[in-house]
Amino acid sequence: MRRTSFTIAVLLLAAVACAYAVDRYKDDAKDDAWVAPRRNFWAFRKPVRPEVPQLNNPWVRNSIDAFLLSAMQSQKLTPSAPLEKEKLIRRVTLDLTGLPPTPGEVDLFLADKSPDAYEKLVDRLMKSPHYGERWGLRWLDIARYADTNGFELDSERPHAWRYRDYVVKAFNHEKPYNLFIQEQIAGDELFPGNNEALVATGFHRAGPIHLVGGNQDEEMNRQEVLTEMTTAVSNVFLGLTMQCARCHNHKFDPIPQSDYYKLQALLATTDLKDKVIASDADKQAHEAAVKAYKARLKPIEDQIKEIEKPYREKLRDEKYKALEAPFRAAYDLPKDKRDKEQQRMAKEAESQLKVSWDEVLAVLPPDVKAVRAGLRKQLHQLEYTQPEPVETAYAVSSLEKAADTHILKVGDHKMKIAIVEPGFPRVISGLGVPPPEGITGRRAALAKWLSSAEHPLTARVMVNRIWAFRMGSGLVKTGNDFGALGSRPSNPQLLDWLATEFMASNWSVKAIDRLIFTSSAYRQATLDNKAKSAIDSENKYYWRMNRRRLEGESIRDAMLAVNGHLNTKIGGRPIKVPIEPEIYDIIFTEGEPDNLWPVDQDPKQFNRRSLYLLNKRTVRLPMLQNFDQPDAMSSCPVRPVSTHALQALSLMNSDFAAEQAKRFAQRLTAECSADRDCQIRRAYKLALARLPRAAEMSMAQQFLKDAPLEDFGLALMNRNEFVYIP
Amino acid sequence: MNSSTYLNHLRAARTRRDVLRGAANGFGALALQSLLVQDGAAARVSPLAAKPQHFPAKAKSVIFLFMVGAPSQIDTFDPKPGLKQWEGKRLPESFGKIQSQFTDGSTPILSSPWSFKRHGQSGAWVSTLFPHLSTCVDDICFVRNFYTESVVHAPAMYQVHSGRILMGHPSMGAWVTYGLGSQSENLPAYVVMPQPEGTPEGGTPCWSSGFLPAVYQGTLLRSGPSPILHLKPPAGVTPERQRKTLDLVQKMNELDTEQTDSEMAARISSYELAFRMQSHAPEAVDLSKESEATRQLYGLDQKHTSEFGTRLLLARRMVERGVRFVQIYHGGGPVSIQWDAHSDLVQNHEKMCGMSDKPIAGLLKDLKARGLLDETLVIWGSEFGRLPMSQSGNGRDHNPHGFTMWFAGGGIKAGQTLGETDEFGLKAINGHHMRDFHATILHALGLDQHKLWYLHNGRHEKLTDFGGKVIQSVFG
Repeated sequence: MRRTSFTIAVLLLAAVACAYAVDRYKDDAKDDAWVAPRRNFWAFRKPVRPEVPQLNNPWVRNSIDAFLLSAMQSQKLTPSAPLEKEKLIRRVTLDLTGLPPTPGEVDLFLADKSPDAYEKLVDRLMKSPHYGERWGLRWLDIARYADTNGFELDSERPHAWRYRDYVVKAFNHEKPYNLFIQEQIAGDELFPGNNEALVATGFHRAGPIHLVGGNQDEEMNRQEVLTEMTTAVSNVFLGLTMQCARCHNHKFDPIPQSDYYKLQALLATTDLKDKVIASDADKQAHEAAVKAYKARLKPIEDQIKEIEKPYREKLRDEKYKALEAPFRAAYDLPKDKRDKEQQRMAKEAESQLKVSWDEVLAVLPPDVKAVRAGLRKQLHQLEYTQPEPVETAYAVSSLEKAADTHILKVGDHKMKIAIVEPGFPRVISGLGVPPPEGITGRRAALAKWLSSAEHPLTARVMVNRIWAFRMGSGLVKTGNDFGALGSRPSNPQLLDWLATEFMASNWSVKAIDRLIFTSSAYRQATLDNKAKSAIDSENKYYWRMNRRRLEGESIRDAMLAVNGHLNTKIGGRPIKVPIEPEIYDIIFTEGEPDNLWPVDQDPKQFNRRSLYLLNKRTVRLPMLQNFDQPDAMSSCPVRPVSTHALQALSLMNSDFAAEQAKRFAQRLTAECSADRDCQIRRAYKLALARLPRAAEMSMAQQFLKDAPLEDFGLALMNRNEFVYIP
Repeated sequence: MNSSTYLNHLRAARTRRDVLRGAANGFGALALQSLLVQDGAAARVSPLAAKPQHFPAKAKSVIFLFMVGAPSQIDTFDPKPGLKQWEGKRLPESFGKIQSQFTDGSTPILSSPWSFKRHGQSGAWVSTLFPHLSTCVDDICFVRNFYTESVVHAPAMYQVHSGRILMGHPSMGAWVTYGLGSQSENLPAYVVMPQPEGTPEGGTPCWSSGFLPAVYQGTLLRSGPSPILHLKPPAGVTPERQRKTLDLVQKMNELDTEQTDSEMAARISSYELAFRMQSHAPEAVDLSKESEATRQLYGLDQKHTSEFGTRLLLARRMVERGVRFVQIYHGGGPVSIQWDAHSDLVQNHEKMCGMSDKPIAGLLKDLKARGLLDETLVIWGSEFGRLPMSQSGNGRDHNPHGFTMWFAGGGIKAGQTLGETDEFGLKAINGHHMRDFHATILHALGLDQHKLWYLHNGRHEKLTDFGGKVIQSVFG
């Protein structure tokens, strides 16, 4: 049993619960001594801009190539041949926008024989609004974003999507990454009155949260929230696994347990609170609209109540008769005549008398049930007219009082060891940012510390994410772990050069992207080579381009794009697309299971990019899940890539796939009439950005002799070439 | 994924050649040849290839019967006759405040409305709620002293399924599939069958792969013509037509000379497996060939047992066909179809036991008769138990402090009852944490809990976290 109503946790209980005296933390000297000798680890030393190797080799287009080629040469490796032009445009368009190039774009690029045709293409794509969407998908994995709370109730967060839109916009508008950090960590404290910065603080609340009724240990709940937030800050911005130091000193990195709780203390004044940002006029209009809406629902709700009434009363009556004598006696007494024991028994009798929806449904005669079902349908139809919620930031603010933060033995809030003050992990020192004193400005201090140009990790961690995103594997393979257990950079000079270049370019992600995309390294073919593989099987030296599979989201988007139905609207509240009955059935509810997934009324919305589909933590869309969509429970630095039969089933047999195949065929027929060869050529151009080779042409002609065009389209969209970036 | 971790884990997994050979019946032998001669790329192996146990052990498959909402231990397998004397009284003050979801331990004690008897050679105690199961006690090992951390359903469900009270960790079935791979060429390795009326409160994270690759997630299975989501082509597409499309996909993939490597071969073979599943899965869930005696054994001939009986019969057919882990939920959806007896314990438990008793006994007998019980570990359990004190006068609130689960088959020593709770049936004595539960199950399968790990965000994550104690006495 659960309760659907709950009160948001009161956050100050920790202070009350801490009735016994706990000392202040006094082990600074000891922890300092433990950490000091290990500050020398590469990741904790500030990156120093290395000299760019002077190679005088035509392959070298920019500094990236110089570093890579120099490293390759040391291993007697040579770069791979460049990718053909038609494949290159498919690669770069998928990478920068998450969508395949249109035939027109391909033709233009192929026809452009100017020496900077490719650079112009990169420039054009980086200005596309889809650029920010592409980055948005990646960043939201890292930020463990979803649209619901998770756990059993898994309620929707009606305002969370503004953070998603903030992210898309930030990448599109080249928001400097240091500012991007500041806004997400402490937009409310650093930029008061700036709604965009306020929305950015939704980062702290992007993760799961457990909200449930009944007896609750509020102090434990608060610890869970703080643990979640602290872990996210550490993984996402520091690239450190500080959460490992929650129960004990970090086993591999110089992070004493005290430092974990010092970081937690920086977040301990954070209040998870929505803030209405609408104007007063909007608020008033909204109130009126809600009133009118409720008035629309009421007549139908009343009718349903009226229909159920005799049956509910009868059921209740039966339950009343079945009450054991002492309970009935207590219940029958007037309220003011009950003693304490009778009050308890009367209350318990009341809960025995409760009639649930399924009990009522079980006794309704079929004709009455049908009338009621019709009314419920009407009601659900009317619910579509519910006014949009008033504009609100899913954000955080700061408490004016905060409980002490304690070092907890094995992370257990009942076992407090010592009180710590807010502070930064001591392994990173000398940034000149003082830790905050007292209650206010804790997150502001954290934001300044994280975004400092002196910070050894921040820029490295982000350029490594950019690199991993674009090149298919990180220079440091473990994007969320730059510690001892993480991997060492395969090319430390390149990593440091990129980090310093990033800061020198005003922390512009686009600037680093541009460098990568215009390098020779990025333009290499993916073709394997036996001799080179024998030297470097993992391709640590990037002697070829890594082949990458599209995310499930991008496969879905590409299917919509090639048949011309993709709805390219940007942003807004998340969309519910139709789901399979089997998936509907796994939505948890103890209530009446109708209308649990009201799909959007406008079917054009079903064709929106996957980024905008409702991301519900406990109900994943099968196709996306099968292609390794992360579960948004913790920061995901790199998606796993698994290959299994359920992927084939959803790409071959789902209603979605079938519909896209039909549309694809319709488009081909519309553009080519019944001209078979035209249809085949067009299909290849749309789906794979190239024309069919002779063998493919005859294979297709043969197939289409006795198979419908939609099957050909379906086959193309299931092809390896369609789901992999060339 | 950290690929090196992953490859390290795939100890003696099948080679790429084997994967291809398995896939060979669908696409041209010529193509197969051309794939096999390409030895350039680092060999990748099917993530579901069968892998050896860490040490020899009997259990090859698991059927986890999960009773959603928490049955009461003191009304089923853990008799406390002494409670009669406490009827209507309060728990002694020395117990202090008792943690539960809605009550605090101050409500009156409610003794069990059912009587208990010893059964079988082993003399195990079972209440009158389980007339059928009580005939199987000599095949069962009861463990009466489990405890768990949360008083709330979903977190406690996450803990018993995945070892943590937070969602997002891989479920036991995912770990086992990751550790042992699949024994079936034609069916998913890990299948899940929820109650038709609704999912357990913990929802899909109970069978998710968490941070493990999606290939290890539980696959929903139901009876009927399309037992797996998207198994069948859309209406109007015949199998012949689909085969033709599939052949075209595979032929085009063969043409992509650049991609003739094991990663692409894995993708090609995944399509073949999908196609094989289409023909095998409907057969696997087709009960029409089952004898009348078998159907009766599972209670398919009676209204109140036929639904759960059907799913348990499916479970047997699954392990028979090499499915590694079968997760079954009894209860889910509306409160009236859960074991969650906050009020009217009698009505609730009689209904829930009535639905499940005969099918469970039928499953154990059937597995035994077919010689499958030795290699199939059957687990019966829930997220917690129920309090000896009352709620709403005639119900019981949640009890994470001590409760019973049982094992059958899979090499355990049957016919024994282990562990105990205090005289009230409230708290486990020398209790076993869920970590011990998991360590024990992994042990039965020949998996060392410390060797079954996955590197996730800088941590060697394991099902048992920092380790549980294998309950050795379960194995005799």
